[in-house]
Amino acid sequence: MILLENVYYKYEPEGIEALRGVSLQIRDGEHLALIGPNGCGKTTLIRHFNALLLPTSGKVTVGGHDTNEPKHQADIRSLVGMVFQNPDNQIVGMTVEEDVAFGPENLRLPTVEIKKRVVEALGRVGISELVVRNIENLSGGEKRLVAIAGVLAMQPRYIALDEPTAFLDPAASTRVLKIIDKLHSEGVGIIHITHNMAEAALTQRIVVMNEGRVYLDGTPREIFAKFGMLKQIGMQLPPITELLIKLKESGLPVRTDIVEMEDALVQIRSLAGKFKD
Amino acid sequence: MYHTGSFIKGQSLIYNLDPRIKLAATICLSVFILWVKPLTAFVIGIALFCAALANGIHLRTIGQALKPLLFFIVLIFLAHALFNEGEALVRIPRLGLSLSYTGLQQGFFVVWRFLCLIVAAILLTLTTTPSQMIAAIKHFLRPLKILHVPVDDIAVMIMLALRLMPILFTEKERIETAQKARGYNLRQSGFIMRIKAFLSLVMIVLSGVFRRADELALAMEGRNYRRQERTSLVELRLTSPDYFALTFLGIFSVIFIALNYYFS
Repeated sequence: MILLENVYYKYEPEGIEALRGVSLQIRDGEHLALIGPNGCGKTTLIRHFNALLLPTSGKVTVGGHDTNEPKHQADIRSLVGMVFQNPDNQIVGMTVEEDVAFGPENLRLPTVEIKKRVVEALGRVGISELVVRNIENLSGGEKRLVAIAGVLAMQPRYIALDEPTAFLDPAASTRVLKIIDKLHSEGVGIIHITHNMAEAALTQRIVVMNEGRVYLDGTPREIFAKFGMLKQIGMQLPPITELLIKLKESGLPVRTDIVEMEDALVQIRSLAGKFKD
Repeated sequence: MYHTGSFIKGQSLIYNLDPRIKLAATICLSVFILWVKPLTAFVIGIALFCAALANGIHLRTIGQALKPLLFFIVLIFLAHALFNEGEALVRIPRLGLSLSYTGLQQGFFVVWRFLCLIVAAILLTLTTTPSQMIAAIKHFLRPLKILHVPVDDIAVMIMLALRLMPILFTEKERIETAQKARGYNLRQSGFIMRIKAFLSLVMIVLSGVFRRADELALAMEGRNYRRQERTSLVELRLTSPDYFALTFLGIFSVIFIALNYYFS
């Protein structure tokens, strides 16, 4: 479990607080989306999960280890893998296998185990065929998958992804999202920063951040039902929810706490049925 | 498309050799190329070209590697051909230069040595992955650990340098394209303006690289990188082809030394 207790963080001693009293509990195997306007502290928050940043005050514990304790930081970084927004800023190796091996090499695993983990991690993200490819010859989507594989090779319990579909075309985005979903179904906890509400709607829980604080926390249905509060901080709704709200505003009897396409279709079909009758 | 220093996947005897043997052989050959008499260097060069072709390295790849150096190759050749004191074949009185047979011969051999060094380097980098190369360098630097030289850190530094180099060029091209897109035409500017533009380009590229390096350092920390001894994906183990290559290199070294004395 990742537990944050009243966490404050300042980048500079005299600077403004990037996090202001964040308390949060993330269970093992949970799929959580972190949303909020730019500069609200999402990236700062997830960097606390694997001790890249340490709280100015408050406490962060991961798997029972306090991130402030230097002796536990190596264990914490093995428990929580971090995928950065730009894979070019994360990939260290010249070839795919070299980069994926970087984490296991740091864990001082024997060569046989490193090779096994590289093969396994590339297989899990479905890019085994890229093993000896030069990083410079990969597409943006492939680089993103290499970055995820590099983290998976350390066999983490959680993966924190900072906008994993940013700058990707729809096909590459879908591929990355499918992999994330698959990892979640394998039991890996996913913490997923996104600006895409349709992506957030597919998770189990959404945490909305604003001005360094947790603004809203709940299931996608609960969060998108509070559309007024979301609009207040400049957030949008998933297109499906937005459509249903517009229908309701025009006087049609539809539910507005719907976030998935299938549920929306059921609503619209039943509505069409009523008009037919 | 070949990029300087890049590895191309393939299968041949050289590919399967231990990277330490390849690195040692390249260093040894480079010393020979620079030290031996011109005719011996010529023989070494022929042997190197044959080795490159036998290992599936196309002449086109060698050409691509030489392309960026073409200007320097021509410059070196002309400097030797035109500034050598020998019996003049052609005189250029206006410039006070003369083209001599000795100069042409000397220019040819200097360029030949240069080409041999490049082919040796291509042969090494094309057939050795960066991680194999780093493992070999780390192995040779290992004795320095007694003097508390951070060998593991040096290996990671080499890896990062190799990784950041193409990014540096991409960043430069990206900025130049952005400048052109906003109507900036360097070709129409004067010399001073060009120097100024170059300096400002360097500053922008460097600031981008520093920012990227900062983020990369954070990502490495996130993947548990610390200043400590690391294990490696590459397992260095000498096998029979390596011993065969060592013997082969030893025999050739003796032949080259003998040839060198024969031609002197």
